[in-house]
Amino acid sequence: MMYRLFLVASILLLAVSGFAQKRYFTKTGVVSFEASTPLETIDPVNKSAMSVFDATSGQIEFAVLIKGFEFKKALMQEHFNENYMESGKYPKSTFKGTIENMQTVNLQKDGNYPVRAKGVLEIHGVKKQVSVPGTFTVAGQTVRSTAQFNVLLSDYGISIPGVVKDKISKNAKVTVNCSYTPIK
Amino acid sequence: MAVWKKTAITIVLLAVCALLYGIYLYTRKPADVRVQTPVAEMTAAALVGDFSADETAAGKKYIDHAIVVKGKIAEIKTDTNGEATVILESGDPLSSVTCSFYDDEMSSVQKLKVGQEVSIKGICTGKLADVILNKCSIED
Repeated sequence: MMYRLFLVASILLLAVSGFAQKRYFTKTGVVSFEASTPLETIDPVNKSAMSVFDATSGQIEFAVLIKGFEFKKALMQEHFNENYMESGKYPKSTFKGTIENMQTVNLQKDGNYPVRAKGVLEIHGVKKQVSVPGTFTVAGQTVRSTAQFNVLLSDYGISIPGVVKDKISKNAKVTVNCSYTPIK
Repeated sequence: MAVWKKTAITIVLLAVCALLYGIYLYTRKPADVRVQTPVAEMTAAALVGDFSADETAAGKKYIDHAIVVKGKIAEIKTDTNGEATVILESGDPLSSVTCSFYDDEMSSVQKLKVGQEVSIKGICTGKLADVILNKCSIED
């Protein structure tokens, strides 16, 4: 009897975990950053970020093409790609990590859940361990992730020449906004 | 007129030209891809095939250039923030063509239907899983 119960329980558990092993995905995440100073507004947007997360393990990844950032001024975009980010050499930027408190997010229940992602951020070929706060918003089948964090340009070996130093902030405020749907 | 006067006028004129050119460079808006002549026209399958075969070579050929890509619409995504994206089938289940449109192209994207054949012009920015086009518009 005990054995049977155990068997049924393990099958149920397997079924549940199999069901819960759900991945969420987007190809149209929006990543923008702001490095404005009183002298200059710098606020480019990238609308084709890719991101995937695993609802069970909390593993999360983001990838974005540097050349996909759209600026309001052509010269800025050229300098950004050619001089600062060297996008020919380092075409993408990624984040690979884990949502530390994934178990506190109930994907079956609509609402806002504060989360923290810990992992490795790679920009300009430099990898750095980071820990970033964000929010998961569950609305039916879709999950929206939002996060905002600062990137110190010098941390990633991005040097700004003296002539334009006062025009570009040393800190870039990065904003991430992704709307995921489950992978069928 | 004295030679020094001529020289002075020339120098001033040159300085003004340089200044105007500087201002022009500095305030220049990014080029409107909609009026650019594409460097290549191909199917979504051919574009993805080129990138899968040799990403570096394909990158040299297409990245930063306006291209026209033809394919069957797999997915249309319009966000309330005004972002419109169309994903074209390539035959490769792991890689499609993601086309992110100009914000003011929203109304034309909303007229499209999944499964429809369409030609899209945009700037190729590279490949993540998908080959990505930016600043897209629909080609007639």
